[in-house]
Amino acid sequence: MTIKWVLHWQPNAGTTVNSQILNEVSQCVESINGVKEGRWKATLTFYKPIVRDQAPTTEFPREFLGISLPEQPNKYYFVIRGQKIVLEAEQTIQTIMEKLQSYKTRVALNFEGFQYQLGDFQLRVGKVVPMHSENLRGIVMEMEYLPISSLDKSRQIMEEFFDIWQEALSKRSLPGHFMHTEPNFAEFGLPDNYTSQHTAVQYTTIMAQVIATAQAVQAVRN
Amino acid sequence: MECVVQGIIETPHVEALEILLQGLCGVHKERLRIHELCLKSAPNLGVVASEVRLLCDLEQPEPTWTVRHVGGAMRGAGAEQISVLVRTMVESKVSKNVLRLFYALGYKLDYEQLRVGFAFHFQRGAQITVTVSSINKMLKMHATDEAMPVTPGIQLVEVTAPASSENYTEVAASVSSFCEYLAPLLHLSKPGVSTGVVPTAAAAAASLMSEGGGTTL
Repeated sequence: MTIKWVLHWQPNAGTTVNSQILNEVSQCVESINGVKEGRWKATLTFYKPIVRDQAPTTEFPREFLGISLPEQPNKYYFVIRGQKIVLEAEQTIQTIMEKLQSYKTRVALNFEGFQYQLGDFQLRVGKVVPMHSENLRGIVMEMEYLPISSLDKSRQIMEEFFDIWQEALSKRSLPGHFMHTEPNFAEFGLPDNYTSQHTAVQYTTIMAQVIATAQAVQAVRN
Repeated sequence: MECVVQGIIETPHVEALEILLQGLCGVHKERLRIHELCLKSAPNLGVVASEVRLLCDLEQPEPTWTVRHVGGAMRGAGAEQISVLVRTMVESKVSKNVLRLFYALGYKLDYEQLRVGFAFHFQRGAQITVTVSSINKMLKMHATDEAMPVTPGIQLVEVTAPASSENYTEVAASVSSFCEYLAPLLHLSKPGVSTGVVPTAAAAAASLMSEGGGTTL
């Protein structure tokens, strides 16, 4: 599988994301000759433990994530961020978790938008919205480089492309910028060769960032 | 869902059973070597206590892992009338760190065992799987190389077939009718309803061995 960076939109202090920014970002991809190819959608679900007798919660993770990715429609991923575990399973693992009745699903977020082709790069721009809602929570972007699957070997070209992209976007004077936070994949036991498990870990990382940003905005408002 | 029946056979008659199965199914047997770990939820986790099985297929060049959840058996007058057990069963193939994940989620190892034997997979009105295996316990944790048989001289035979709420009666009928062919060697019944070994087994085995099997029905 080829290398991919998952980026998230970091709004400037005191500002929030809105659909106007998403439109501008999409227009920007088209302005650098990105060819629109179709829609994509990933889903991220929070699982929380069902605890009897109000036991101390240190015994179980407070939450973990279930992720479904368009690149692997038959697979499902679990990530426990605190313990650096990523599991690849089949979609049926969701039914097993339901039957066990030990963890319940809480919020589910959709990451959805359009896919663009740009030479050897594939870009996906999307909004982060809770399931059954249009309430925009964030903006994400996937940047995939099709010829290479090694993280190390692709780093330079990814950085260069990211710089070009940032520069193109900066002309629009939007109140924020895209951020790339590369998780420590080795801590999750993942190799240099890119897999969909890497994607799942990246989504978990940006989810933490989106939540932190939302909380910071909330704190400023209060 | 799945339909399932179980029975036992004495090890000396296993070869005859294999010949019979080979003749009946017309496919080759697959070797079976499965490390099964049964996990239970920690006392205060979940609406009710729960159990999940992790199966590691040691026959593969690179061991593969599966999570299996076996639910309650179907009840009611309809279920009583059929001679096979119908129960919910869900499986998911998973990456090899699955044990670590379930430990992290608050599950504990209840027991582990090693199943060694063979299996036949074939289509006969339903997608039937017959497994013949000895159950072994580990003397040391996860030490599959030092496993000892739990019931020496006796092997477990299991016939299963996947089913759905729409077709389970037909699948159950296919399983039952297939089991009748095995009747001279062993009796199969719902799990938990032990029927022991059949008295005709030795004679039937001797006859099968002398015929050399191979007759396809």
